[in-house]
Amino acid sequence: MADTFELRDIEVWDGNMAASHALRQAQVDVVAAYPITPSTPIVENYANFKANGYIDGEFVMTESEHGAMSCCIGAAAAGGRVATATSSQGFALMVETLYSASGMRIPIVLNVVNRAIGAPLNVNGDHSDMYMGRDSGWIQIDCYNPQNVYDMNLIAFRVSEDHDVRLPAMVHQDGFMTSHTAQGVKTLSDEVAYNFVGEYKPMNDMLDLDHPVTHGVQTEEDWHFEHKARQQHALMTAVIPKIQAAFDDFEKLTGRKYNIVETYNMDDAEVAVVCMGTSVETAEEVSNELRAQGIKAGVVGIRVFRPFPLEQIAAALKDVKAIAALDRSSPHGTVGALFNELSGALFNTDTKAVMTNYIYGLGGRDLTKAHLVEIYNDLKANADAGKPTTPLQQYIGLRGPKLSFF
Amino acid sequence: MLEIRWHSRAGQGAVTGAKGLADVVSTTGKHVQAFAFYGSAKRGAAMTAYNRIDDKVILNHEKFMSPDYVLVIDPALVYVADITANEKENTTYIITTHLSTEELIASQPKLAGKKVYTVDCIKISQETIGKAIPNTPMLGALMKVSGMYDMEFFKENMARVLKKLPQKIIDANMIAIQRAYDEVK
Amino acid sequence: MEKKGWDGFEIGAMLRSFEGAVSGIATILPEDRPYSASSSFTASVADWRIQKPLFNKDYCIDCQFCWVYCPDLSIISRDKKMVGIDFDHCKGCGICVQVCPTNPKSLLMFPEQIEEEVALAEWPTKNTSKATTEAKEE
Repeated sequence: MADTFELRDIEVWDGNMAASHALRQAQVDVVAAYPITPSTPIVENYANFKANGYIDGEFVMTESEHGAMSCCIGAAAAGGRVATATSSQGFALMVETLYSASGMRIPIVLNVVNRAIGAPLNVNGDHSDMYMGRDSGWIQIDCYNPQNVYDMNLIAFRVSEDHDVRLPAMVHQDGFMTSHTAQGVKTLSDEVAYNFVGEYKPMNDMLDLDHPVTHGVQTEEDWHFEHKARQQHALMTAVIPKIQAAFDDFEKLTGRKYNIVETYNMDDAEVAVVCMGTSVETAEEVSNELRAQGIKAGVVGIRVFRPFPLEQIAAALKDVKAIAALDRSSPHGTVGALFNELSGALFNTDTKAVMTNYIYGLGGRDLTKAHLVEIYNDLKANADAGKPTTPLQQYIGLRGPKLSFF
Repeated sequence: MLEIRWHSRAGQGAVTGAKGLADVVSTTGKHVQAFAFYGSAKRGAAMTAYNRIDDKVILNHEKFMSPDYVLVIDPALVYVADITANEKENTTYIITTHLSTEELIASQPKLAGKKVYTVDCIKISQETIGKAIPNTPMLGALMKVSGMYDMEFFKENMARVLKKLPQKIIDANMIAIQRAYDEVK
Repeated sequence: MEKKGWDGFEIGAMLRSFEGAVSGIATILPEDRPYSASSSFTASVADWRIQKPLFNKDYCIDCQFCWVYCPDLSIISRDKKMVGIDFDHCKGCGICVQVCPTNPKSLLMFPEQIEEEVALAEWPTKNTSKATTEAKEE
């Protein structure tokens, strides 16, 4: 039996340590990992807990990220609670197996510490890897600070393992800006945290020898479409209500309230930025400062990126006059993904809002408060003019001549 | 909001120092942030670490900072790193050096007219801990200059932060913190 | 088997081997096991064959080589005695004949349509010219 880890009510943890403790408290059966910056400390801390008797489960060092996720899939199909962590190029190497996990309806919690994807090689945070995962069939939950990381990991196990869901879940945090930034994290005792996550309830597990199953079968044209449709049906109908239910229970337990779409200063907002990760909180601070100057600025943060909460987003943005979609990933040949997603959510609604797109923060480039003030000023001009006063897609925080498209 | 920037070399413990400070401050009910600029830097490369401290929840995640305090824990960085970057009118500098404050300003004129304090954290850590790990003594100097916390409270909490180290090392750190507190000028 | 719609089957890329629960399955003979409709045991591939192996028990020494090497588990063996061939699952690859060590072989390939009695009647006798056989194989 694993030892109990005595925690203070508030620990000063970075996002990685918060994730490590959440995995420890969930009493994961198998963590298979191939460490990569900036997610390395998650599994390093976890291995340390294991070596010191705080973990009963297995820790498997694999030969690659592809092997790590494959091992996770095998362990989860066998009937264990499973988790791991990765970033960037490692995430890219995992991609093939990510589709296997979701298609096989295998619950796994993957901590993705968001990092740029090279070339040029870069260890710092942007959302390229998170965006790469968006068609993989996984649930994607986003965190803005270490407290979120701790809380969302506990919530992710509950949702992912629910028999109505049975889909793997990624918990995203910004590389370095969250993963290596220590902040106060309100903790739960090991017992309370485990009870919230709940005992693992196996389904179609290979270790149920009374009901032998074959996982990972092949289907061709005759069955593949039906399987993918079934997977999409679960992702589209079961996941958001289950996440909401988990958020509600979590609020009752801790007082910390989370929402599918996070809104800040949005009640009477005229202009809004929509973004993810640490940028959400920085934008919140800027919106407070701008409100003191009379600009009705609001912030919409995406908490659940997949399944994309189309209706909740549309509702959050229905009364604003100008919107900025902030994408921290190079769109490589089109508008930013978030801009496209928001367009999809708002098209066919009554909104007449002007929407523009900003590409920012690639490779860890700082998003400063001054940048956000510039963006809000653009939005104010768009709102007043009732049409775009800037190019549709602008690069912000970039050296050299101003770069924009469309 | 109180903001602190550390100038250090990778391996000298600025991140540990910044996180240790955040940990101690957090016990008093304040909100904290501790982070650093990383790259694929080698041990010995110049780097910076940061603290934010506030009574309210800290929402700001920008890396940009106009610091209230600049802590330099390697003597050579005064000359090779941009330690006055984004300074404010009242930014306070605490610098590790074997020089007196007057000698230091004479050798680095851009510090003239600023609030500069000096303390030899390298020597203190060598003489107490046995190696050049100047992070904890710098915190002792910060306590003196800022008047942030009572010294006994601070040492008690730092001992808790360092609890995984051997008792001998913890004791040496406590002496180093106290010496820097007493010696900073 | 009728193909079901997207909401008509169990989730995941997963198939069950048996209908309902089983226990001590290793002690139950294959023909008595409750294999599911999606198990390959219930699907015949007999029509894949153009040649079939036939078994002559007069020469068999029950070495089990054929049972070990058969890629389709189509050699029926009971208590380590060769019983015969599962013609629902044998695809006629001939590996069992290749590995059979007796002289003459106890398993030989014949055209699919040949009657067993006819085949047994024309079974070759012991080949004494070992050197000739080896030369031929090379």
